[in-house]
Amino acid sequence: MYDVNEIKELIRAVDRSSVGELEIKGDDKAKLTIKKEGQNTVVQTPVETQIQAAAPAPAPAAPVQAPESSSGAPAQAAEEKEIDESLQKITSPMVGTFYRAPSPDSDVYVNPGDTVQQDSVVCIVEAMKLMNELEAEVSGEIKDILVEDGELVEYGQPLFTVKSK
Amino acid sequence: MKRDELLKLLRQAYPQYLSGQHVSETLGISRAGVWKHIEELRKQGYEIEAVPRKGYQLISSPNSLSHEEIHARLETAWLGSELIYEPEVSSTQDIAHTKAQAGAKEGLAVVSDRQIKGKGRLGRPFYSEPEHGIYTSVILRPDVMPYQAPQLTLVTAVAMCEAFQDVTGVTPEIKWPNDILFSGRKTCGILTEMQSEPDRIQAVIIGVGMNINQQPQDFSEELQNIATSLRAETGETYNRAEVLAAVYSRLEHWYVTYIHEGFAPIKAAWEHYAVSIGRELTARSATSTITGKAEGITEEGMLLLRDETGTIHKIYSADVEITRSDS
Repeated sequence: MYDVNEIKELIRAVDRSSVGELEIKGDDKAKLTIKKEGQNTVVQTPVETQIQAAAPAPAPAAPVQAPESSSGAPAQAAEEKEIDESLQKITSPMVGTFYRAPSPDSDVYVNPGDTVQQDSVVCIVEAMKLMNELEAEVSGEIKDILVEDGELVEYGQPLFTVKSK
Repeated sequence: MKRDELLKLLRQAYPQYLSGQHVSETLGISRAGVWKHIEELRKQGYEIEAVPRKGYQLISSPNSLSHEEIHARLETAWLGSELIYEPEVSSTQDIAHTKAQAGAKEGLAVVSDRQIKGKGRLGRPFYSEPEHGIYTSVILRPDVMPYQAPQLTLVTAVAMCEAFQDVTGVTPEIKWPNDILFSGRKTCGILTEMQSEPDRIQAVIIGVGMNINQQPQDFSEELQNIATSLRAETGETYNRAEVLAAVYSRLEHWYVTYIHEGFAPIKAAWEHYAVSIGRELTARSATSTITGKAEGITEEGMLLLRDETGTIHKIYSADVEITRSDS
């Protein structure tokens, strides 16, 4: 069975290659198909990733995916040329539960349309009772919030898109 | 400060009497000024005997968390060397956050006798009573990746267990990931907050609220089944500065061990205190509930639960409750 990080590593590998589709069949790891459609990557796998089970492996395969900036890898830039180039992402630095507010009865940190600075706290990601107040690290206007409050997020998962000004 | 110096002189003189004349000359203040300071110390809870023609003798010190009381006992290399003490605060955690953002060094500790706001996980308040407890927040700046930082909650749990054991002689238990229990009831609340960028930790603030000298009747009926204190467990009253010095000492030790040797030694120590292993636990998160037998923790600190179908779940983020203790 593929673990989350193996799947991520494979997606990255396909993403960066000129391969459009990758299919692996085997006894142990059952079946995994990754198809690239335009700039989207679609993962089909019969392995049901247990939500609670999502674990950061001892060390992620790749360094933390910093919000994509102009210094991004050329391959990535080429793939995303159809996307608004000023749109940046804020990604989760760890596996955990995503919270939009410091407590259930507090106001949310940010809403779409809000302007954030590099040091603005945009959300909390909680794991093993550690509350991580995540800073935007980019400045601009919050376009979309990509996950629901209380949802479990993965390492490197995009949480917000930000339109720089 | 003259009062701290006076206190030091009283300690040095003990068990002899300290003459007012001597204090007056050493500190360069009048005899009336000495008397004023003695009165002030008495108000703070120091018991000082005054005998005509002999001088002053320190009989006992208050059970306080003042600078003076803590530093007299502190044996750490750096943790708590820089200390901010306030008798009453809204939240030690808020002060530590502000200090961390302003660039405070690793090891700065904020301590208070009483916390008014109380800040539990996600803003849940925890019980706070004047001068029975200890409230402290410590700034750490670990050179690890943000995804590793949750392990610090287990580091803190191990340190708290050792400190409480050193002070009371009674062995506490840990419920995953960082609840410290005596007879199944919580004696402290740990809140760990991190300021980070996606790939870099700015600061980790570890906040601990401890129940030390409450008696069982000091807890509300609602809390009596879930909360306890060191005194309620052993019948003894504890000097809080001494407890705090033990906590800082153990926290520094385990944190340094973690930074140098990684999580393996922490895992071994954590499992030594882990009450939850082998029992039936229920883990609740915002999206799902899983009940199973606790098999242990992973190399990263995640809880392993085996459900009735035999499937093993790795729990990374959930509220855990012991649902059956005999299994």
